[in-house]
Amino acid sequence: MHRSRIPNRTIIATVLAAAALLPGQHARAQSASPSIGAPAPEFSLPDTYGAEHALADYRGEWVVLEWLNYGCPYVKKHYNSQNMQNLQAKYGDRGVKWLAIVSSAPGKQGYYEPDEMNEMNEQKGQKALAVLLDPTGDVGKMYNAQTTPQMVIIDPEGTLLYNGAIDDKPSSRPASLEGAHNYLAAALDEAMSGEPVSVPTTKPYGCSVKYPS
Amino acid sequence: MNETYRVVTRIVATLTVVAVVLVTAPTRLPGQGMVGEQDKPAEPSSAASDLSPHSDAKLIAEARSAQPGSSFTVGLHLTLEPGWHTYWKNPGDSGEPASITWRLPAGFSAGEIQWPAPQLISFPPLVSYGFFDELLLLVEISPPPGLANGDTVRLAGRADWLVCIEDCFPAEAELGLTLRISDASPGLDPMTAPLFETARAELPVADPAWSSFARFKEPWYGLKIDPPDPLAAVLEADLSDVHFFASEGNVIDHAAEQRPDWDGETMVIRLARSGFSAGIPDTVHGVLVTARDGAGAPTAAVQISAPVIVAGNPTADSESSLGLGLALLFAFLGGLLLNLMPCVFPILSLKVLGFLEHSEQEPGGAARQGAAFGAGVLASFWVLGAVLLALRAAGESVGWGFQLQSPLFVGVMAVLFFLLALALLGAFEFGISFTRFGAGEFMKVPSRTRFARNTTTQSFVSGVLATVVATPCTAPFMGTALGWALFRPPAETMLVFTVLGAGMAAPYIALSLSPGLIDRLPPPGRWMETLKQILAFPLLATVVWLAWVFGLQTGVNGLAGLLGALLLTGFAVWVSARWGGITSKPPGRTIARISALAIGAAALVLLVRAAAAVPEPGSASSAASTSTSWQHWSPESAATARRAGEPLFIDFTAAWCLSCQVNERVVLNTGAVRDAFREHGVTTMKADWTRRDPAITGALAELERSSVPVYALYPGGEGDPVLLPSVLTKEIVLDALETYVPSER
Repeated sequence: MHRSRIPNRTIIATVLAAAALLPGQHARAQSASPSIGAPAPEFSLPDTYGAEHALADYRGEWVVLEWLNYGCPYVKKHYNSQNMQNLQAKYGDRGVKWLAIVSSAPGKQGYYEPDEMNEMNEQKGQKALAVLLDPTGDVGKMYNAQTTPQMVIIDPEGTLLYNGAIDDKPSSRPASLEGAHNYLAAALDEAMSGEPVSVPTTKPYGCSVKYPS
Repeated sequence: MNETYRVVTRIVATLTVVAVVLVTAPTRLPGQGMVGEQDKPAEPSSAASDLSPHSDAKLIAEARSAQPGSSFTVGLHLTLEPGWHTYWKNPGDSGEPASITWRLPAGFSAGEIQWPAPQLISFPPLVSYGFFDELLLLVEISPPPGLANGDTVRLAGRADWLVCIEDCFPAEAELGLTLRISDASPGLDPMTAPLFETARAELPVADPAWSSFARFKEPWYGLKIDPPDPLAAVLEADLSDVHFFASEGNVIDHAAEQRPDWDGETMVIRLARSGFSAGIPDTVHGVLVTARDGAGAPTAAVQISAPVIVAGNPTADSESSLGLGLALLFAFLGGLLLNLMPCVFPILSLKVLGFLEHSEQEPGGAARQGAAFGAGVLASFWVLGAVLLALRAAGESVGWGFQLQSPLFVGVMAVLFFLLALALLGAFEFGISFTRFGAGEFMKVPSRTRFARNTTTQSFVSGVLATVVATPCTAPFMGTALGWALFRPPAETMLVFTVLGAGMAAPYIALSLSPGLIDRLPPPGRWMETLKQILAFPLLATVVWLAWVFGLQTGVNGLAGLLGALLLTGFAVWVSARWGGITSKPPGRTIARISALAIGAAALVLLVRAAAAVPEPGSASSAASTSTSWQHWSPESAATARRAGEPLFIDFTAAWCLSCQVNERVVLNTGAVRDAFREHGVTTMKADWTRRDPAITGALAELERSSVPVYALYPGGEGDPVLLPSVLTKEIVLDALETYVPSER
């Protein structure tokens, strides 16, 4: 018996810890969507006046991205009712940099040449800081933009905080705005008051983004 | 309101016309083209066609009349211009399903829309679920019983749908349908009945013969489906038409390739998690299309509701990462290490001493004993495995160590360990008629043959005993192997149990087979007596621990009952040894033995009654209440913390789990580790499995474990949990926090 010893606990533990890790580190496959809580994908796009807007320029600011297609009935619901413009004005006043992005390909619904787009913006009373043109759809795909409207929130550190629907009423009927819970406003209010975003993603609704075929 | 009224009246007029057209038109079957060309010119409301561009909707009934109190089916008949589509209940990446806002007479109610299986509509990189050409959406209407024969009722409502080619138009139509009430059983309308028949045939079937589950491992669901045999044979040839359509929009990535394939007799479909999912659902619902026509329209579909198993961690999660071979290796190592656990070590030390004595008395006997001991261990593991399997088959959620959730079992174990300790201290010797426990090998026996037979039996029994006393302990590796085994077919479960037993018995069998090794041990002598007495104290310490567990389970009154039972046991042993020994005279000896038995029986009664006690509420009834920095675990509290994106550490523990207690005292409740949890902003929760708790058993099963301890670290956000080893050190915990949880949080 005197030859038999209980091996030192630390030795066992070390061996086991090593063994536990043996079958390999967890391989995390890339998902198509950018991850909530991770750095938002960097991009740089021209606005309708030709000025470049890089996401990196807005480090230190709250940023909202809005996918826009004026021809889409779901977008019309939010613009004809002034719902979208009111949100743009309200959060613009609070310092939020609101960028509308058009990912429609040339020839497809929602695509306009810069001049035409400026006219449309005038007509609609567009209150975003800038309307960015993404005719290749690259930035849209980077953010997994599936529908118009689709909303994204990025915090001053450049972290993606929200990606999804504007509200919880997936309908093009103007009446559906009444009593709708606005996910974007709720998430922005939480984030800007230093709280975690309680609903960081929802399924976006609306028209498909008209990517190049 | 006035305008609405005008529209309604106009539509009523329209419908009357449509009804006439329907009656006079030849019967059309779905998919055989459009009605628009025929109907539209006849519709006065075509002036208002901007309300329903590129499509039309009407409400039709299957029967000509409705019977009071018996439900009937109506249908929203949507017809679309060629190339245009509308959407399923889950529209996919974009779009919106058709809906009906009913205005029904008092007492009527309408069911949900019954959706046929959709087809895939692709606009890369996006995908929609929907329909082309023509669609009949069935709805069940339930009329009230008290309707007068011969009356007419009007079902009205508004249909909203979206019609798209690539660009979309919202469409709407006012619906109306007048039905006669008749007590007679309703006759089918020959004009519409075939449409309904076809639509019913296109509904996905709910067939329990299709069993399914989904294993989630970021970022994929592996949907596993077992089709019934005849269909499996058809499908085997070609899976190219197979596609799974999820019922909810935020579960899977609709556009991702599904790659249906066979794994043996199981169809495996790979579903990528949606980038917009709020979490992993308990069940993935959807429709599996198994056959399609040339145009991609489904011709056979079945409803699927697959429970989701979330894979836990890299070492223990799925059959792909821990195969049978690795599980068996872990089981063997686990069994081997079990010998070093504090509950087993004293018993097994005695066993080795036994070898020493017998090798002196009977050369070659050691080998036979080693075999008998191994058989005892194996048999016990088989019994344990079989009991676990039987309980699992009966729907019980159990895991390793489950027997210690029973206070009676804990109490009996306490008495047993107490008896063993008394025997080692020399208070009595186990008699021949007494059950032969491990310590019984020290008795003197008269003849060699009896000796051989008895010691073989004893070796077998001590193998059983060693297994029984091992159950409170989980050795490293064992949890991984058992967790894996319990979710496998019974044969593999039993194989893992067998190897676990083999691992535990291996050192003895090896020792008993190598006389050289035994010879190298010191010769028997007085030192053995001393060692025996010393080994009594770990056993008594085990009694203290079991009593503590018993106390947590039954409260102070129960604990007093157990201590009383131990007192009576000691008294019975003393009576029996003092007057009942073989040196005592026959009449007194018999009386003493009967008395001892009676006292023992009284101890047992006391124990059974104590085990039934319930702790008074508010008492420190769980191992979790010892520390304030640990929150009480519940599925809800854990889900809330995870939703908030907080890093979370869960300690799955039980009072009867020795390794859990050691880890908590030596590692988890030390200042350094507590500070580290605080610095990294980790919420710490304790899930106490001391008593049976199906919620905890379920949570363990999700991590593919069936025993405690389990230490799960959720890094925050949507990350997979990291499982720490079952023997912890401060370094392991601190390293894990450093690696997986960024400290600036």
